[in-house]
Amino acid sequence: MSKKTKFPAWRLLTVLAVFALIAAACGGDDEGGDDTFTLGVSNTLVGNAWREQMICAIKAEALARGNVDEVVLQNRNTDVAGQIADIQTLISQGVDAIIINPADRSALDDVIAEADAQGIPVISVDAPVTAPEAYFVSNNQVEYGEVGARWLFETLGGEGKVAYMRGLDGHPADTDRDTGWVAALAEYPGIEVVYENWTGWDPSVGAQQALEILTTMEVDGIWTSGIDYTVVEQFAVAGVDYVPIVGADNNAFIEQLMNTSGLVGAGVSNPPSIGGVGAAIALDILEGKDVSQETLLTPVVLDSMDELEGVYIPDLTAGWSSYMVIEPYVTYSDAQAVIDCKGPGE
Amino acid sequence: MTSTSPDALVAGTQAPWRRWLRRHGWTLGVWLLLFLLIAYYATLIPRFGAFQVASIVNNATPLVFLAVAQAVIVIAGGIDLGVGGMLVLSSVTAARLMEGQPFGVTIVLAVLILLAAAVINSGVGWIITRSNVPDIVITLGSLYVFQGLALAVLPNPGGGTSEGFRWLFTGSDTGIGTNPWPAAVMMTVAVAAVAWWMGKTRSGLSLYAAGSDRTAAFLSGINADRVKIMAYAVGGAFAALAGLANTAIAGRGNATTVGGNLTLNSVAAIVLGGVALTGGIGSAIAVVPAGIILFFLNPILTAMGVDPSSAQVIQGVLIVFVMAATGIIEWRRRRQA
Repeated sequence: MSKKTKFPAWRLLTVLAVFALIAAACGGDDEGGDDTFTLGVSNTLVGNAWREQMICAIKAEALARGNVDEVVLQNRNTDVAGQIADIQTLISQGVDAIIINPADRSALDDVIAEADAQGIPVISVDAPVTAPEAYFVSNNQVEYGEVGARWLFETLGGEGKVAYMRGLDGHPADTDRDTGWVAALAEYPGIEVVYENWTGWDPSVGAQQALEILTTMEVDGIWTSGIDYTVVEQFAVAGVDYVPIVGADNNAFIEQLMNTSGLVGAGVSNPPSIGGVGAAIALDILEGKDVSQETLLTPVVLDSMDELEGVYIPDLTAGWSSYMVIEPYVTYSDAQAVIDCKGPGE
Repeated sequence: MTSTSPDALVAGTQAPWRRWLRRHGWTLGVWLLLFLLIAYYATLIPRFGAFQVASIVNNATPLVFLAVAQAVIVIAGGIDLGVGGMLVLSSVTAARLMEGQPFGVTIVLAVLILLAAAVINSGVGWIITRSNVPDIVITLGSLYVFQGLALAVLPNPGGGTSEGFRWLFTGSDTGIGTNPWPAAVMMTVAVAAVAWWMGKTRSGLSLYAAGSDRTAAFLSGINADRVKIMAYAVGGAFAALAGLANTAIAGRGNATTVGGNLTLNSVAAIVLGGVALTGGIGSAIAVVPAGIILFFLNPILTAMGVDPSSAQVIQGVLIVFVMAATGIIEWRRRRQA
């Protein structure tokens, strides 16, 4: 019996050793053709419609360009320490450029410097980072916060109680929007902020908070950081009259603004397809083109029926933004490319 | 030469060796699996050098420490869902207090945080032994309490630490580089100390005794309650050490890090490391490669072209597989005995 136990252990070791040798032996590396590129993507918020669409736009642009052989995704829910590890993983995978949606403004500086030192450009999409090497592609988030707040305060006639439903605590875009919000608020002394909280850009959390607001306090207006359509739904649940509400360009929210009687609101554009712009910039850099280090889109306020109908796409996934073909940056010419969500080789 | 034949002599020297292999086979297996995975990973990526090794060792450190924390407590017959919360709490406390401080001060603060964590978590252990409420209930509470306290300590992500402190856990003043040695030494020293304590000292061995059979331990003169409180104290300190490593890597703290997920990772790591969830069986040394493997799944799946979101599924399947495998091994061992 003791012999019986002896042999399997030996055999196991031998098999493992052989496997190790084989694995080490077939370490053939094909770096790929000279003219094709690999893009790396680091995203730290999964299961979020905006981020999913951002990634789909990256894939769509990579496919449309025709010179990308693979988009390597590091896509998981994690924090700054996790994103630092993920970017290191992308560097290790030998990608040619890295597109990130940063979880922190300055904590990624050192890992970005490392990527740059290894010849890999880093493009920060959606929110800025302090790393001097990084390229920055974003909606102007300070303006996003400001124009929406201004619209709300104007609509209320400069007076009233408002709820301030923010995004993800600590996220640079949230901080920037707050800067814009605070700037607008300073000019309207009659506006009182009676509620301030973070939705984490989670539609269900936003809904919960909205229900809490509508059932426990009197508000004259609500500003949301893009968590909009689930908030609108709560008015009916709570059985209260609509108050003016500011959201983003989510298709479901646009539809509500078009079709719900008694609802007044504005969508401020914040297209997730900025990811496609990020991919376009990354490829421009890799192709040796002259690229500006900062690309800022100016947000627009959508509140008239014409504007709303202009961007609305029927039968789009809830939470997806209607504005997908961002000219003149992206190469794909049809929103369907983003909806298909197919990258090279998929 | 005596009358003993050479064959018997060989058999005599082989027996303890075989016994050692039987006792430590799992530990050896997990280490081998780790090196196998690293060898495989090296073939998947264009270049495998110091940067890649440092990246794996450094970033796996928090999970390794957290897994050791969980291992100590589970071996002693408990389970601590609060370790992830303790990691976050210690990480943000360190980030808040260490910001702008010189290296010496950050070290003193680190020691104080470890001690405080040990004291706080021994309190959790004390409540469990006094109340007779199952560990899983009390520590679910402590998870939420720690996470809430973390938000109170650092409401917005931020804080900082000294460059020397970052070097201590990452081999670089910036938290990133090509030097895996400081992290490796930190892990080796900490784990060797706890392994020595658990394997060679009376108080450490009493963890196994109390964990495998409380009544028998009591009858042989071991105060099982005291042992459990001690295990929770050591576990708390290791969870805090994981938090310090986290702060060193990120260079700041973030109270919105979900401690519950970290706890689940620590449980997954100890299962893979061969620690029996029923208590009394396992070693801290086997938990180290298990923790690294769990961290490592993400890079390796990415290199294989698998979507990392399915890493969680694979992790889950792995746990079930390991549990089934250990069950079968145990069943065969009993049948043979």
